[in-house]
Amino acid sequence: MPINEILALAMFIAFILLVFSGFPVAWILAGLAMLFTAIAIVFQVDFAIPIGVDWSYTSLTVERIWNVMENWVMVALPMFIFMGLLLDRSGIANELMTSFAQLFGRVNGGLAISVTLIGVLLAATTGIIGASVVLLALLGLPVMLNQGYSAKLASGTVCAVGTLGILIPPSIMLVLMADRMAMPVGDLFLGAVFPGLLLGGLYVAYIVCYGLAKPEVAPRSDRVEAFDFAALKKLALAILPPAALILLVLGSIFFGVATPTEAAGVGAFGALCLALWKRQLSLPIFKNVLQETTKTTGFIFAILIGATAFSLVLRGLGGDELIERALLGLPFGPIGIIATILFCVFLLGFFLDWIELTLIVLPLVAPVVVGLGFDPVWFTVLFAVCLQTSFLTPPVGFAIFYLKGAAPPGLQAITIYKGVWPFIVLQLIGLVVIFSWENIVTWLPAQAY
Amino acid sequence: MDLPETLISKYVDPWLKKIGSAISIIWVILMAIIVLNVLARYIFSEGRIEFEEIQWHLYSAGFMLAIAFCVITDSHIRVDVLHEKFKPETQVLIDLYGYLLFVLPFVVLILIYGVPFVLYSFETGEVSASPGGLPFRWIIKSMILIGFGFLGLATISRVSRLLAFLFARYR
Repeated sequence: MPINEILALAMFIAFILLVFSGFPVAWILAGLAMLFTAIAIVFQVDFAIPIGVDWSYTSLTVERIWNVMENWVMVALPMFIFMGLLLDRSGIANELMTSFAQLFGRVNGGLAISVTLIGVLLAATTGIIGASVVLLALLGLPVMLNQGYSAKLASGTVCAVGTLGILIPPSIMLVLMADRMAMPVGDLFLGAVFPGLLLGGLYVAYIVCYGLAKPEVAPRSDRVEAFDFAALKKLALAILPPAALILLVLGSIFFGVATPTEAAGVGAFGALCLALWKRQLSLPIFKNVLQETTKTTGFIFAILIGATAFSLVLRGLGGDELIERALLGLPFGPIGIIATILFCVFLLGFFLDWIELTLIVLPLVAPVVVGLGFDPVWFTVLFAVCLQTSFLTPPVGFAIFYLKGAAPPGLQAITIYKGVWPFIVLQLIGLVVIFSWENIVTWLPAQAY
Repeated sequence: MDLPETLISKYVDPWLKKIGSAISIIWVILMAIIVLNVLARYIFSEGRIEFEEIQWHLYSAGFMLAIAFCVITDSHIRVDVLHEKFKPETQVLIDLYGYLLFVLPFVVLILIYGVPFVLYSFETGEVSASPGGLPFRWIIKSMILIGFGFLGLATISRVSRLLAFLFARYR
């Protein structure tokens, strides 16, 4: 193995190790770019081994930063973050929880189904796993536990649904993925609609069956109010605004009346109107939402810049060809190569968040996959589902950590592990289905515009 | 983790925090401009290229300044699986070495190579490539320098606070 490829490998391993130091990920990426540039220069100057990476090469980062700055599509990112945070604070989630609980109260597992539906409706707009898991944990977990749900089912549902949010459009993860894959954001959004609904549907089906088989783990509410016209009206009033907002955003992209950037801006405006209409928005809360938007945008773009520098140096060291050769050298054939990539992503997802994987790993493997003739949107959706599964999987799933942090004290990690594994099985079923029937992903984008 | 304030941080932090709060208003303006642009396109059936360019000007100014704000408020993403279990001294040492060896050199690199990048744009009088686009491209390009300048300041302030913590601990 030539010396530059050894360096490329070392760089990647150093990243994975250093991430555990707990230093901000963005700066680990940027710092390693600096460190390995220095090492390459040492090899060049002191040992006369030309590697082709020096300061002026790494300084191309400046131009890459500029490319990010003038990228109009990425304007959608802060707008979706703003929209998600506004919806979070608008009190809609609470309203939905009470209405859904009333509707499904008479079914075993009704509350868990409510949490799933809210997750699909609302987490769709957050796009940050931590945020949606915490939101659902605070919202749904105490209610379910009070009604005598088994802690396993309750925590498993919250974890699974919370991570599903990053997959269901409009999600900021999909915006970033589309940017890295140089594909239209709209295509990826639309491609992810049915896989997201499929997974949500599998969750609901599981909860219903589990509730029927073992009524004691998911009891009905003993004081269900009659489900009359008034309740129906309340439910409609709770569901319609957020559902309309999401349909507005996706619909305007689907029919080509707005670009994703415009859809995001208009969506944020809609969320603002909604929050004002619900009288949930005071000036301090609004200021807080704006500052949180700044912070979330800040850390995402810091990682983006760090990852840009990192990828640049990794490419300079020949990391790209290394990966490509390694993948194409696998003795499996195209399907096997895809499966291997997805398995690696699954493993990496144990300790890396979606931002790093999207920014570093996705662009590394994408050319190989596209070169093999696979549909890029289909592959990206598979990549996303795989990531989401990995965040659920013990021992180091992100969702589990966030849930542990937000859950009432007494909830053991082992309980969450036990609750989450049926959902992991469901994820794998979903993954296989999407893998086998490409149409689930590609059909909707093909109908659009 | 509570870090002691220092002479540097007492001046730098409130100032950068103020900038952080001030720029947060950008997202509302950005939203308003997007909505107006969409309306203009449907009512007067003309989207204006200036409006699109103003959008990414605002967004890029916003995120470049937000990065330093995140350092001051310590809100950059960490993988805290092990980090939480470390002693406070260890956490502080990790941050100290990280900021000194990883962040500062990166800031210096971007600043050194960013200055000619902006100067070139200024000297050639670069304007938008699209007809009707915005002039003075160097102004928005210099956001790279301002953003990373602030990032450098924020890092120095952070380092001073980490050092103050260590000195207080091992006096």
